[in-house]
Amino acid sequence: MTSSNSPAGTPPDPTLDPTRDPARDPGPDEAPDRPRNSARGLLIVGGSIVGLVLLTGIVSFFWTPFDTGYTDLANAKAGPGTAGHLLGTDRLGRDIASSLMAGARTTLYVGLVAVGIAALIGTPLGILAAMLPPRWSQFVMRCTDVMLAFPALLLALMFAAIWGGGITTAMVAIGIASIPSFIRVVRSGALVVMTSDYVQAARVAGRSRWGIAVSHVLRNVAGLVIVQASVSYAIAILAEAGLSYLGFGAGLTTPSWGLMLQESQSTLRSDPLITVWPAVAIALAVLGFNLLGDGLRDRFDPRRQR
Amino acid sequence: MNRHESSPPAATPRRRRLRFAAGALAAALVVTACGAGSSTQPASTAPATTATATTDGQATAGQASNGAGGGSVGSQPGAGASGSDGSAAPAPSGDPNATLNVGFVAAPASLDFTQDSGAAIPQALLYNVYETLVRMTPTGEIAPLLASKWTVSDDQKVYTFTLRDNAKFSNGAAFTAEDAVFSINRVKSDWAKTVAVAQGMSTVAKAEAVNPTTLRVTLTKPSQSWLFSMTTRIGAMFSRTGVAELATKAVGTGPYLVSANQPNVKLTLTRNPDYWGTKAGMQTVNFMYYKDPTAMNNAELSRAINVISSVQTPDQLDQFGDTAKYQIIEGTTTGEVLLSFNNSKAPLNNKNVRQAISYAIDRKGLLDTVWAGKGALIGSHAVPTDPWYTDLANTYPYDPAKAKELLGGKTYTLRLRVPNLPYATAAAPVIASQLQQVGITVKVDTLDFPADWLTQVFTNADYDMSIVNHVEPNDLATLWGNPEYYTRYDNPEVQKLLADGDAGTRDQMIADYRKATEILADDAAGVWLWAFPNLLVADVDVKGLAKNQVSESFDLTGVSVG
Amino acid sequence: MVLALLRRLAVLLVSALVASVLIFLIMSVLPGSPAQVALGTGATPDAVRALEQQMGLDRPLPTQYVEWIGGVLHGDFGLSYTSRQPIGPQLFDRLSVTLWLVLGGMVVALLLAVPFGVIAALRNGRPTGLVISALSQIGVAIPAFLAGMLLIALVAMRWNWLPPNGYVVPATDPVGFLRHMILPWLALGLVQGAVLTRYVRSSVLDQLGQDYLRTARAKGMTATAALRRHGLRNASIPVLTVLGVQLVTLMIGAVVIERVFVIPGVGSMLSDAVSNRDLITVQGIVLVLVVFALLVGFVVDVLYTVIDPRLRVQAR
Repeated sequence: MTSSNSPAGTPPDPTLDPTRDPARDPGPDEAPDRPRNSARGLLIVGGSIVGLVLLTGIVSFFWTPFDTGYTDLANAKAGPGTAGHLLGTDRLGRDIASSLMAGARTTLYVGLVAVGIAALIGTPLGILAAMLPPRWSQFVMRCTDVMLAFPALLLALMFAAIWGGGITTAMVAIGIASIPSFIRVVRSGALVVMTSDYVQAARVAGRSRWGIAVSHVLRNVAGLVIVQASVSYAIAILAEAGLSYLGFGAGLTTPSWGLMLQESQSTLRSDPLITVWPAVAIALAVLGFNLLGDGLRDRFDPRRQR
Repeated sequence: MNRHESSPPAATPRRRRLRFAAGALAAALVVTACGAGSSTQPASTAPATTATATTDGQATAGQASNGAGGGSVGSQPGAGASGSDGSAAPAPSGDPNATLNVGFVAAPASLDFTQDSGAAIPQALLYNVYETLVRMTPTGEIAPLLASKWTVSDDQKVYTFTLRDNAKFSNGAAFTAEDAVFSINRVKSDWAKTVAVAQGMSTVAKAEAVNPTTLRVTLTKPSQSWLFSMTTRIGAMFSRTGVAELATKAVGTGPYLVSANQPNVKLTLTRNPDYWGTKAGMQTVNFMYYKDPTAMNNAELSRAINVISSVQTPDQLDQFGDTAKYQIIEGTTTGEVLLSFNNSKAPLNNKNVRQAISYAIDRKGLLDTVWAGKGALIGSHAVPTDPWYTDLANTYPYDPAKAKELLGGKTYTLRLRVPNLPYATAAAPVIASQLQQVGITVKVDTLDFPADWLTQVFTNADYDMSIVNHVEPNDLATLWGNPEYYTRYDNPEVQKLLADGDAGTRDQMIADYRKATEILADDAAGVWLWAFPNLLVADVDVKGLAKNQVSESFDLTGVSVG
Repeated sequence: MVLALLRRLAVLLVSALVASVLIFLIMSVLPGSPAQVALGTGATPDAVRALEQQMGLDRPLPTQYVEWIGGVLHGDFGLSYTSRQPIGPQLFDRLSVTLWLVLGGMVVALLLAVPFGVIAALRNGRPTGLVISALSQIGVAIPAFLAGMLLIALVAMRWNWLPPNGYVVPATDPVGFLRHMILPWLALGLVQGAVLTRYVRSSVLDQLGQDYLRTARAKGMTATAALRRHGLRNASIPVLTVLGVQLVTLMIGAVVIERVFVIPGVGSMLSDAVSNRDLITVQGIVLVLVVFALLVGFVVDVLYTVIDPRLRVQAR
């Protein structure tokens, strides 16, 4: 891709629309000339990890090795395999494998709320911004600039100050903070589609702008939304972990990987494994969503399809 | 608030006048054991002190610059007893230029304990910056401080205090009986209603200054606990000209001054050069606040702090095993970790449900897991050091089958709202799990302490169950004698026992209080999970830290370094 | 060019104004007024009203806003609801601590990202490039506080190389300051460096594919030399944007890192204020952080025009 024909106009280079949260968004990893099968590899690996998280979360609704939250006091801080605890227990005797499974459920919830909010609000606004006359479009972009100055963690802390911490408050904040990313990505994608020959032809043929927006743009932008959703999902997982660490995230008995990590802090020296499991779970899930996002981007990004 | 307090159960250091040879640590410390009248000279090179302790008598206020300490008073404030003046302060030995850094988990909101609840403020300021007329000694006795002696009338309603004439506030004003009257009256007129301990002053009919060094306080009825409560924050003496900005400027008569306050980070005390008594043992003391107990442990291990005021991860004590570097101090506190019930609200107004919960909890297993077995199992609102303590720990032994039977097949859903303090957040999941086993679903949520917990649970009683360490000494009547307290426990029989005990003789008080604790235990008014231990880790060269915590102050007056 | 600059400045000012109104509205209008928050949900309406009056919150919102923002412009952020100390001096004091933290973290991130990103691009598709890409993927997936916890456990506690937490003022003890900051810098820098590596790599790859570099290489220059000669400057442009956003993220990420390492910066001040429901303090800190973010955006935009020759030409 070249930087000169930036459809968005504002930023000099669309490769990195400044829009995404590069803090966490692993960013465009693809070389222009990257072979297609590498994208497929990413897709498979990322998809499998995400699928695993999804599956684990769903299974945990019906079955976990032990009841989630059950404290086996006689076997606290037990090593893997002790008394039927596959991965051992934490400092209160809770089965780590069960907590991890139930934690996957929470992770799904986190993603659904945060990403759902962002996508449902951000996508239409992004398309709208692309359809509006430049002056108004510019205005929308300035608004997203202001919103971008409120990162997820900051918004979550503000909400926590007003309503108290809690996983739902946190997710709503993360969702709202992710809206501008969706607006920007969708808008720039939509602009590309709008200038495509096909749409130009449709316009010449007299179809209304809004008709085009719904029928054509939305369909083409859907891929971008999915990519952005995947990336935002990874960010949401990390943000939830950070908030749980600060004590503004998941409630005490909500199974959450972030909270497990936070609680394992005191035993890090004596029983490091209690820390390792949730750490691996978080890293793996984030990795999975990021890889999936990378893979999907190669497939869907209209800016890359030429 | 106060009487709950949860925060880091203040460890209490040793006071200036120790009545006992305080164990191994004290060996190193040059202490004047008093009481018996013996006095010991500091052997070290500390500023020459000629602190002389005399028995109950007249104080020879030390002539040396660091003057008089308190004399010892063994007498309980019983009938007609009088306190005595005295002096003798074990001049803290050690390096007078030393700086001591002490780690705590809960930070004070402001410097004003007349408006803000929470134990962290008196923990830092009481006895160190603000002084009371009488103080609590490490052995739990009442001793002179700003009052050199006192007498009690035969009807036990009139207390006459003889005040020191050389005490000065840090704003330069001299401490007089007028200030004492002002301070006592102010508790009723100006202290915030939310500061529950202020109740302790309600028995005062009037306070008057007979002359600048004589204060007379008349009570509406005899009270065993009034003089005791004068050792707590409500007995703190304020300057008539020094209360304008209490939240940010503490003006007291104590051995330390507040020299800097970085909220939630560090509170710095420095030696008061004009202190009327034995000068403070250290130049600077930093109260350092750590939200996270592991960070506090690490700070001690890396020598960034010298004392962990209260160990919050007792299962991790091993890392301080090196006796050449660390001392581990283990004693008792006056704190009871209480699984409190909202006794006025269904279903917890039903004794069967409360009893079922009591049977359903394996307190031994809980204590072993959550607090590494440190502390004692108790069965009512008294700790083993209370005179009215009896062992009621087996009133409701762990018996889930019986619990289910008492519930009669019904299931319940209860809200357990706990402060975000280590013991509470560790105990809550265990309680939830154990109650789940008998059919009670527990919804746990954590509230920021102090802010949220105080408003939601303590003030508004918007809860079913909570877990709080009630650290205040002698808080039986506060919790259970007042139906407005957040436990919402309304039992006229207990109220009568507590009121009668307070108005009666010492022996009657003990008997009545004991009876009250028995009724509370039987009634399952709460589940007393364990008696909170005093657990400190300190560098070996820190001297004079008290083994047992008996007051709400982290008392620095006998502490020194080196 | 001056005109463009002025226009951008105007946008900055308007954005800051809008942001301050937003913050003020969120903090004062959303259910849970400061007085309600202070008293709890069970408080009687009368009690709430009384406290609002005492806090000056019963006046019309515009008046309150103007008073607040007027004070802020003079550096007066009001008094903390809890400690009752003035917020301003403390805030600026702590801001300096956080800036040290963030700048150091940024330096670490750049030191990692630039060489590794360039190498990964030059060795694209080869083992070195793949390893760097894989490592950066993993780095991105690790929460910064976890990195901090692990660094403390290993470097500070097991090997005793550095202090595990705390802060020393650089003016009084520069060596102590450095010793205390190395781990926090690493914790912040490693994770952000991983993110940045990916951007540098893709940006350099992008340049390598450009015609002028192909030409240079065709003329016999090595890829490295060609890149050094022509490409790095161009490659740095998109990275600059990311850098700006990252600076903002680091600033917010400091909330967590400051908790891990017990650093008295603006982040820990914010999380303490949130815990204490000290809304006026939260409001002030959020404003400062948001204005900082807007300011960074502004500076990045200005730097574009300086660095990017094309833009300069256009501007002329």
